[in-house]
Amino acid sequence: MRCFAVFGASLAVLACNADNVTPPPPPTESQALPVLGQGAVSDRYTGELWVRGNIAYTTTWGTRANQGNAINIWDVSGNVPTLVNTVIVPNAATLGDVQASDDGQLLIVATEYIPNGSIMIYSLADPTNPQLITRYATALISPGVHTAEVQSVNGKLYAFLSIDPGGGNPARLVIVDLSNPAAPTQVFTAEMGSPFVHDVYVRDGILITALWNLGITIWDIGGAGAGSVANPIALGSVSTGGQAHNVWWYHNALTGEKRYAFVGQEGQGSVGFSSSGDIHVVDVSNFASPREVAFYHLEGAGTHNFSVDEVRGILYAAYYNGGVRAIDITGDLSSCDAANRSVDGRCDLAGMGRELAHGLQDQGPVYVWGVQLSGGRLYASDMLNGLWKLGAASFPPD
Amino acid sequence: MKSTRLYILATVLLIPIDLSAQSGQFGPAHVEIGAQAIGVVTRESPAIHGRDLTEGYLTQPLVMAMASLWNDALQLKGTLDLEGVTIKRGELNAGILGEGYIDRRHPHTYLHELLITGQRIAGDNGASVTLGKGFAPFGTDDPMARPFEKYPINHHLAQILERAVAIGAVRTRRVILEAGLFNGDEPEGPGDVPNRARYWDSWSGRVTLIPFPQGELQGSYARVRSPENARGGGEDQHKQSASIRLEDAQHSGYGLLEWARTSDYVGSTRTFSFTSLLAETSARYGVVSGALRFERTERPDEPRLTNEFMTPLPANDLSITGRSRWTIVTARVAALVPVPMPFTVEPFAEIARARFTPTLTPSGFDPAQFYGADHIWSFSVGATLKVGMKHMRMGRYGVATTEMRGMKMAAMDMDGMR
Repeated sequence: MRCFAVFGASLAVLACNADNVTPPPPPTESQALPVLGQGAVSDRYTGELWVRGNIAYTTTWGTRANQGNAINIWDVSGNVPTLVNTVIVPNAATLGDVQASDDGQLLIVATEYIPNGSIMIYSLADPTNPQLITRYATALISPGVHTAEVQSVNGKLYAFLSIDPGGGNPARLVIVDLSNPAAPTQVFTAEMGSPFVHDVYVRDGILITALWNLGITIWDIGGAGAGSVANPIALGSVSTGGQAHNVWWYHNALTGEKRYAFVGQEGQGSVGFSSSGDIHVVDVSNFASPREVAFYHLEGAGTHNFSVDEVRGILYAAYYNGGVRAIDITGDLSSCDAANRSVDGRCDLAGMGRELAHGLQDQGPVYVWGVQLSGGRLYASDMLNGLWKLGAASFPPD
Repeated sequence: MKSTRLYILATVLLIPIDLSAQSGQFGPAHVEIGAQAIGVVTRESPAIHGRDLTEGYLTQPLVMAMASLWNDALQLKGTLDLEGVTIKRGELNAGILGEGYIDRRHPHTYLHELLITGQRIAGDNGASVTLGKGFAPFGTDDPMARPFEKYPINHHLAQILERAVAIGAVRTRRVILEAGLFNGDEPEGPGDVPNRARYWDSWSGRVTLIPFPQGELQGSYARVRSPENARGGGEDQHKQSASIRLEDAQHSGYGLLEWARTSDYVGSTRTFSFTSLLAETSARYGVVSGALRFERTERPDEPRLTNEFMTPLPANDLSITGRSRWTIVTARVAALVPVPMPFTVEPFAEIARARFTPTLTPSGFDPAQFYGADHIWSFSVGATLKVGMKHMRMGRYGVATTEMRGMKMAAMDMDGMR
C-alpha cells in the first residue's frame, strides 16, 4: 500500500513540472536603444546576419512552418528594412552562416545538416540578386557546415569552416582557399572541439577557435611568424567553463591595445523561451597563457553573437530572449573592487555597471541571434520576428 | 536490391519453422527459438504540413533464441532485429522521437540482444549476473513485448536498450533488486554497436516489488552520460521510472500504469525535463482481444533534416526549438486466426488520436502550424505472424524476470501478448 502511495506522489509531481524564465529588467542606468524599424519574417526562423552598405543578408535556420533554407535580402537604406529578394538554397535544411567578402564581390553561405553540408559561393555583382558561382561540398564537410568565417590571410581569401559532428565523425575545422571562387581548394583540416567546434575568429594572422567544452585555442596562421594557414600552430588555450561558441578579439582603435578576446558561451535554451550563457573576457596579451579576467552575466538569458564598436569601445551582444545588450569594454577589465570580484577572481562587468544600453526588450517575445553595427546603426536578427534596425548606443551617455 | 533483401528476410524468418528446433532438450541444454514479424499499413492524417500519408511496412521482424544449460544455471539469449532492412525510413508514429528520427519510429539495431546470464536459485531466493548487449535495468517492458503495434512515444523515457550491459540481480519471493553498468551512447544506426570507449560510463538500478503473483511495482533510476553524442561531451540524462503492472493468472487480462521522467543536465545543472504518464490495458475473450492506451508525454522539438522525419544526430548545440506535450489515445482490436501450430496469425486494427500543445511559452515552435492541424489521426491494419517461441516479456534478465523457470513457460504461452 505504501508503494502505491509513493507512486501516487510521484504522479503528482507531474503537475509541478513548470518552467518559467524571464529576464529581469535592465539596470536603470542602461539606456533603451531606439527601434527604427522591423522587417518581419514569420514562416522561418531568422538566423545569421551580414550587412554591407544598404543591403543586409539574413539566413534562416531550423524548422518552423518552412525549413531554414532561405537567404533573405533586405534594403536597409531606410529605417524599416524592406525585403527585396529571397534566395532558396536547395538541399539544405538550415543555413549556418552568411558573410560577404571584404571587397564585396562574394557572398558565402554555410549549409547544414548531414548529408548536405556545404558552402554556397555567390557573386555579388548585383548585391540584391546573388548568382551562384559554385557549391563546395566534400565528404569531409558533408555532416554540415555550422559556420564559415571568410577572411584574408596574407592577401589570400580563405573560408574557415566549422564542421558538425555526424555520421560517426567528430567535429573538425576545414580551411578552404577561395582565391578561385569557382574552384575552392582545401588547404587544412583537423578534428577539433569537444564535442563541437562552433565559430572561429581570424585577424592579423591569428586564428581563435571556439571549441565548446575545451574553451578556446589560439593558433598562429602566419601572424606570429611560425604557422601558416596550411599549418596552424597552437599557441595557447584556456577553458571558459564550457559551451564556448563565438569569439571577438578586440582591437582598440584608439590605443591599439589588443588585450582582450570576448568569448560567448552558448548554454542550453529553447527558442523563444529561454537561453543561458555568459560573456567571458579573456586576456590574450600573452598568447601562450590566456586567462579569463572578467565576465558579464545576464540573469534569465544567454548570449550569442557579438559586434564591437572598436572606436568607442562598445560590445553589442545578441542575448536571445534578453534582446540586445551594449557593454562598455574600455579600460582595464581585469580591475575591479572586491564587491565586483567573483570568488574565482574575475571581475563582474554587470556589477561594475558596464551595461550601457539594451534593446528590443519592449517588443514582445524576441530571440536575438546576431547583431551587426554598420553605418552607425545596429542591426539585429531575431529568430522569431526577422530583422530589426536600431539606433546605436550613446557613449559617453547622453 | 529490395527484392534480395526481402528474400534474405523471408529465409531468415523461415529458419525456425523446423519444428524439432523450436523447443527441445539437448543434453544439459534447453533450447528455444522463434520468430515474428508484423505486416501493417498505416495512414496518418495529417502526417506533416497538412498532408496525409499512407505507408506499409514489415515491422518488428525478430528472430529469437534462448538456451538454458544445467537447469538454468547458465542462460544464453539472443534477438536479431531486422528493422534496419525493413523500416530503414522509419515507421510513421506521430509524436515519437529518438535516434535521429522524429514522428517516425527508428529501426532498432540488428543485434538487439545477445547476453549470457549465470544464476543461482535456492527456493524463492536467487542471484544472477548478466553480461552482453541488451536492456539496462531501468523502466518497463519494451513496447515490442506489449499489446500494441504502434509504440508509445515515451520509448526513450521509459526504456534504456541496446547497450553493452553488466547487470547484477538478487531476489527474494517479494523483492527484486537490480543494478547495472552500461554505455551511455544510443545507437546511431541499425548496424551500430556500443562505443567501446563509453563502456560502463552510465548506471541504473531498479527495485521491483511483487506483493502478489499477478502484481508488480517497479521503481528505477538511471544516470546516462551523453546519450545523444556518441563521442561524449553532450548533455547527460537523469532518468526516473515508476510503474504498476497487473496481469491475471490466466494471462487474459493485463494492465500497466507508468510514470517516467528524463531530465537533461549540463554538468550538475538541470536544463529541461520531459515527463510521461501512460496507462494501458488489454483483455482477451477467446480468440478476440482488445486493448486501450492513454499516454501523455512531453518531448523536445528539434530542427529537422531535409527529410523532415529526421533530426541531426548529434545535434550541434544544447538547445531545442520547444517542448510539446502529446496526449495520445490508442485503441486496438485483434483476432486470432486458426492456423496449424506452431504458427500464430493475428490480424489487428489500431486507431489513435494525438493532440499536442507547446509547454514552453513563448515558444518559437508552433506544432499546429507545422503539422497543419491541432491533432493527428492514425489508422493501422495488419497482421502479426509468429512461429515457434512466443514473445516473452522483454527488458529483464536472470532472476529479475519476475516469473522464473516454471512460471516463465506459462508466460510464453500467454495468448494475446507479443
